[in-house]
Amino acid sequence: MTAPTAAAPARDLRPSYGAAAVVGLVVLGLYALTLAPTTAMWDASEYITAAYTLGIPHPPGNPLFVLLGRVATLLVPIGSIAVRVNLLAAASSAMAAAIWFLVAERVLAQWFELRWPRITGAALAALLSATAFTVWNQSVVNEKVYTVSLAFFAVVSWLTVLWCDDPDGRRADRLLVLIAYLIGLGYANHPAGFLVAPAVGVAVLARRPRTLLRWKLIVAALVALVLGLTPFAVEPIRAAHHPALNEGEPTGCTTSIGVSCTFSKTTVDRLTDNINRVQYGKPDLSVRQAPFSAQLGMWWLYFKWQWLRDVHGDQQGLQAALALAFLALGIAGGVAHWRHDRASFWFFGPLIFTVTFVLVYYMNFKYGASQDPDLAGVEREVRDRDYFYLWSYSAWSVWAALGLAALWRTLADRVSAGDARRWATSAPVLLLGVMPLIGNWRQASRAGETVTREWAHDMLNSIEPYGILITLGDNDTFPLWYAQEVEGVRRDVTVAVTSLLNTDWYIRGLVRRPIAPYDAAHGPAPYRDGRWTLPTRPILGMTTEQLDAIPQYVDVREPQLFQHGGIRAVVDPRRLEFGVPLRSDLIVLQLLKENLGIRPLYISRTTGGYLQALGLESYALTQGLAAKIVGEPVASSPDTVDIPGIGHLDLPRSLALWRSYGAPNAIRSRGDWVDRPSVSIPTTYVSTALLIGEALDRTGRRADADKIRRQGVEIAEATRTLDLFMARPSADRPPPAVPGDAPRGTAIPAKP
Amino acid sequence: MRKHVLASPRRARALRVITLGLLLLGYLDLVRGGLTAAPLLLVSSYLLFVPLAILFD
Repeated sequence: MTAPTAAAPARDLRPSYGAAAVVGLVVLGLYALTLAPTTAMWDASEYITAAYTLGIPHPPGNPLFVLLGRVATLLVPIGSIAVRVNLLAAASSAMAAAIWFLVAERVLAQWFELRWPRITGAALAALLSATAFTVWNQSVVNEKVYTVSLAFFAVVSWLTVLWCDDPDGRRADRLLVLIAYLIGLGYANHPAGFLVAPAVGVAVLARRPRTLLRWKLIVAALVALVLGLTPFAVEPIRAAHHPALNEGEPTGCTTSIGVSCTFSKTTVDRLTDNINRVQYGKPDLSVRQAPFSAQLGMWWLYFKWQWLRDVHGDQQGLQAALALAFLALGIAGGVAHWRHDRASFWFFGPLIFTVTFVLVYYMNFKYGASQDPDLAGVEREVRDRDYFYLWSYSAWSVWAALGLAALWRTLADRVSAGDARRWATSAPVLLLGVMPLIGNWRQASRAGETVTREWAHDMLNSIEPYGILITLGDNDTFPLWYAQEVEGVRRDVTVAVTSLLNTDWYIRGLVRRPIAPYDAAHGPAPYRDGRWTLPTRPILGMTTEQLDAIPQYVDVREPQLFQHGGIRAVVDPRRLEFGVPLRSDLIVLQLLKENLGIRPLYISRTTGGYLQALGLESYALTQGLAAKIVGEPVASSPDTVDIPGIGHLDLPRSLALWRSYGAPNAIRSRGDWVDRPSVSIPTTYVSTALLIGEALDRTGRRADADKIRRQGVEIAEATRTLDLFMARPSADRPPPAVPGDAPRGTAIPAKP
Repeated sequence: MRKHVLASPRRARALRVITLGLLLLGYLDLVRGGLTAAPLLLVSSYLLFVPLAILFD
């Protein structure tokens, strides 16, 4: 063994800030190499739009992130708006990696005499934490606010470690006040900012419990905490300006900002609801959405992803072996931490416990989207929630690196040679730490991924000028917001997402939204020769009071006739998701009623069976990615082809749109679809290609039909969804319908 | 050892005043509907000046 002796020279315990900075820059370089060049699925578009417009994203509104994102769009000197915000995510994670370097180095300094093995071990901690799948994948596109949160998490961790070391005095007191401030500020980015607080509390109790008796210091810390929370004041101020993105509308001001409406009960109530995320109506923690063992199973499933993301299950054995190895290394690292640096263990140990077991319990998720796929009859999350455990996997990486360093040292101690040689001889064991870098590169990287941006352009261009588009959830909505508000594409189209139509604030914002003139010069070819009149009235002619009075649902269970102009649609509540018409359904029908003949109304083909549930299939004319509702039953013609089981297709329009679409090429170039819960987007293209192919077949254009079908099959092959479309469509067997987009988790009335 | 330049009570007070001023200006511009100065002022206040003011109080 090489335990220090009394004669050994004093160790240099100073943190290697320079080396940490270099490590951070290297990680940033890795992220820059694999950075998304534009937006991505899920919340990426929402957050980029919020940052650019200084708007309010979904509750709790993340005001600090929005400010930071806005500054990134102003100060980052390179790339598009999306790239600038993506770089904010990358820089935040790189900063966290640099700080984990410092934390690991500090622990290693207690039992590694030589400096370079310490730095190597610390660099390993940074590398592992940066290349764990979820951390990496979230750092190369700003899909969430969690990378900024991770940076706060790491900074507070480092400050707490420093506080544990500092002797009692003014410096320690200031550190504690700063920690409290940063916890508050972290909360203004995301409630996860508080995750670090219990561990700070344990560290205080373990290291200096008398601190809690110093009431002046406690008051100062509480004041600092509250000061850190003050960015929430940004929400009502910005909301009163009614930015394009104003989720929850946390203001009582209806037209412009004012003192009385800002300091009103309405503002307070709405802001409080936003901060407390009332909109999502999550159940009490005592009502478990899945057994705790299953929830831990979800954590374990995503833990396995971290070291080798095996999307298609091709390397399950290797993935499981690596997961067990990194689990064991993490435990070994935790034990080594306990043995060699008790002071910081009292912070870091509880931290890992909080972001793992406590967080799993607190999040109270349903079964994961990819968890136990053969398990039927259980409620599932609409997507994989691995990003909620980002902090857990990131912190675990530090322990895994400490475990690997401990293994390295054990092996080095068995070699009979000089110091440098025995460390070097044992160094190959460290290659295990490079495995996530190699194994995750392809799946975590988002370099060259442009599908989402193309998808947004394609969908908006499927809509005639001044049209209203009904969508269902995140992925058929947020990218469109991004295209409209950030890139200025087709701002004449009104996008109305049904899941948010169930809230009161959303429709108010839609009605208030100014009508942008159609930009014919940049519009798609099919609309070039048309004459499009700018509508002069809002999409609904209702007052705010009338909009607010629309009921949450109507307790009607029998089929109802909806009649307007030439439309006689039978709305069958039994085909609606909740068995009764919801507020969103009533608004969609009202939109149809007030805009027929004024604005074209479309229903996105990602909405699954919504068209049929509203009884509108006879009035629907598919044009590319959406179906236009017309005022009379659609009649067949050489250009309007009836496809049994699907409905009518506007063949010339759909063909022209298909030829203008950019996403098919982008999907084929990517060659894979990592995020399976959003696979309904590429499959919408597959079904569109098959639909157009079928219509071409029926009009005798066999060669064109084969060509377009081939393109659809190539998309299906690239996204590994061919099994959904195996049967060749025929008159008896139309192209299969594909599942709709995942609706956002907005609270809707309990099933009556 | 030489006392840190920012640690003097006068400088610490000046830092607090600057921080408060920047925060105030940031919020005033935000109320006005500003999209450029407001975020720059608020972010620099929250992430730089307030932490400095706490550390060098």
